[in-house]
Amino acid sequence: MNRWIIGLLVLAFFSVIISVSAGDEVSFSEALSVLWHHITLGHGIAPDPIADRIVWRLRLPRALLALIVGGGLGIIGAAMQALVRNPLAEPYILGISSGATAGASLFYLGFLPPLISKAVSMPVAAFAGGLCAILIVYSVAGGRGHLSVTRLLLAGVAVASLMGALSSFITLSSPEPDKLRSVLFWLLGSLHLATWSTLIWPSIAVLIGLISLLVLARPLDGMLTGDESAHSLGVQVESIKRILIILASLVTGSIVAASGAIGFVGLIVPHAVRSVTGVTHRRVLPASFIAGAVFLLWADLVARAVLPGAQLPVGIVTAICGVPFFLILLRRSNYGFG
Amino acid sequence: MRQACLLCLLFIGCSSNFPGERTVEDDFGRTVVLPPTIERITTLAPSVTELAFAAGAGSKIVGVTTFDDYPPAVDSLPKYGMLPTDFEAIVALDPELVLASEQVNSPKEADIFSSMGIPVYFVAVNALPDVPRAIRDLGDLLGTSEAATRRAIELEDSLAQLAVLTAGLFERPRTLFLIDDVTLYAFGQGSYIHDMIDLAGGHSITRTLTTRAPVLTDEFVLNSRPEVIVGSFGPRYDVTKLVLHHPTWDIVPAVVSDQVYGLHPDYYLRPGPRLVSGAWALARILHPDVVINP
Repeated sequence: MNRWIIGLLVLAFFSVIISVSAGDEVSFSEALSVLWHHITLGHGIAPDPIADRIVWRLRLPRALLALIVGGGLGIIGAAMQALVRNPLAEPYILGISSGATAGASLFYLGFLPPLISKAVSMPVAAFAGGLCAILIVYSVAGGRGHLSVTRLLLAGVAVASLMGALSSFITLSSPEPDKLRSVLFWLLGSLHLATWSTLIWPSIAVLIGLISLLVLARPLDGMLTGDESAHSLGVQVESIKRILIILASLVTGSIVAASGAIGFVGLIVPHAVRSVTGVTHRRVLPASFIAGAVFLLWADLVARAVLPGAQLPVGIVTAICGVPFFLILLRRSNYGFG
Repeated sequence: MRQACLLCLLFIGCSSNFPGERTVEDDFGRTVVLPPTIERITTLAPSVTELAFAAGAGSKIVGVTTFDDYPPAVDSLPKYGMLPTDFEAIVALDPELVLASEQVNSPKEADIFSSMGIPVYFVAVNALPDVPRAIRDLGDLLGTSEAATRRAIELEDSLAQLAVLTAGLFERPRTLFLIDDVTLYAFGQGSYIHDMIDLAGGHSITRTLTTRAPVLTDEFVLNSRPEVIVGSFGPRYDVTKLVLHHPTWDIVPAVVSDQVYGLHPDYYLRPGPRLVSGAWALARILHPDVVINP
């Protein structure tokens, strides 16, 4: 198992190197010398100021945001799948992403005055929106004492549509119609607004999520066996569920505020990981984190490279690359939970 | 059933050629059959309204979109929604012709009007000379060719005057035109905006991008070193916001030498007669010592 994690970490490291040096504007050796200059705290030749900005202040924060967002979506996907004991769960399908998007667009389009600053109030609104969505879904699905997976997924699809419609309504009735195009780009999921300072909130939230989930790894394993047997294993099923819902909203909310709703990462990554590591969360969680991070980094690399001088929303790439891969995996593998 | 047949006959009767009916080709390449005279028109985009007014046919316009705000005469006209097109409201105004913009409207909308017997004429402005050309076309179409020709010549003269001022200029600042200040929407290949920048004595750095409406990366801007950045952010735009949104641009020549300007969007984003004034305003920014009066 450790071999896999180490392998993934090495892959992540080299992916970051490739990501910051890929592109016409800066040569590979120039990119490396910029990195070296900063890592050694100013030793070596001072780099060209343009290359320095491109590599250190644009590409590197963007690559790191890709890692954080992708990793966050990976672990939340894995946790949601354990929560509902269904491999179809992910923040996107359960309506959290859509709820977070609806909440964040209220601020993005100037409907609500920013509380402290946009950097703080957007994640808060996204968190509230996501929490609101998942609470509706969960209360509908768990209405009669036990959680019905069918009802959960159907309610998730319904609430996701509702929240999507709300976002569209907010967008189209915006007092700032000139912002429409920007919002569209963000709604489709994009990392193009990454700077060192936009990294702070998602990093904190994802770190909290990762540590909490790792602490909960054993109870999560127990939950895969079903509520009753989990209970008999000494798992506080109800409080774990509550914690998971809040964690999922927190992480998804901060991610959506930074990069919009990027779909399919939370769905595909835990699946791919489980087919290699098995279903134990002590392995699934770290592997999902790194695999999600690397996947999104590569997807963003494609989003940056397809159009010369221009870029695509990365959400389009994750769907186009991710879904066929997922379908193939679904056809081949025959793993189950528990 | 019989009534339906009668109705059909009536429609077939209507569509056969009336004496004096004209067949023209619009800027989309569609064949449009027009009645001999046109007294009631509606428009589907603000740019087309402005072109129709310039062609001297303003008094024939019986309704405009809710986005229309120029010339001031449109304020008293009935308004209808455009996103999506409010077909009912437009049909209720009983127009003899609907004017559409190739940039904004789709031929599918035209099909709906055609099915109700209302012809739709598309106007396209993809280069600056298209503005006087479109005004002349509309004049011919609407029977106001005299006024249209006069206005077209005025605009052509104005463009020619500007060309005289800027043609010989050796220094042509590398210019970036942005539509949005956060997400970097810009104009790519095949846009009239590059003509405007050229005519104003600049060099547009996005002219050769193959995408028509690209979202630029920050590194593209850093690397192409624009000497002037202009954006349709409005004249009251606080230019320091641009560096706030894109902190790495502090070394971009345009930022270093304070050559960032917010422009009035209607003079640049509406492909109509006001593009000519827009080009002059841009020229005064790029070459304040050469271009003094409009």
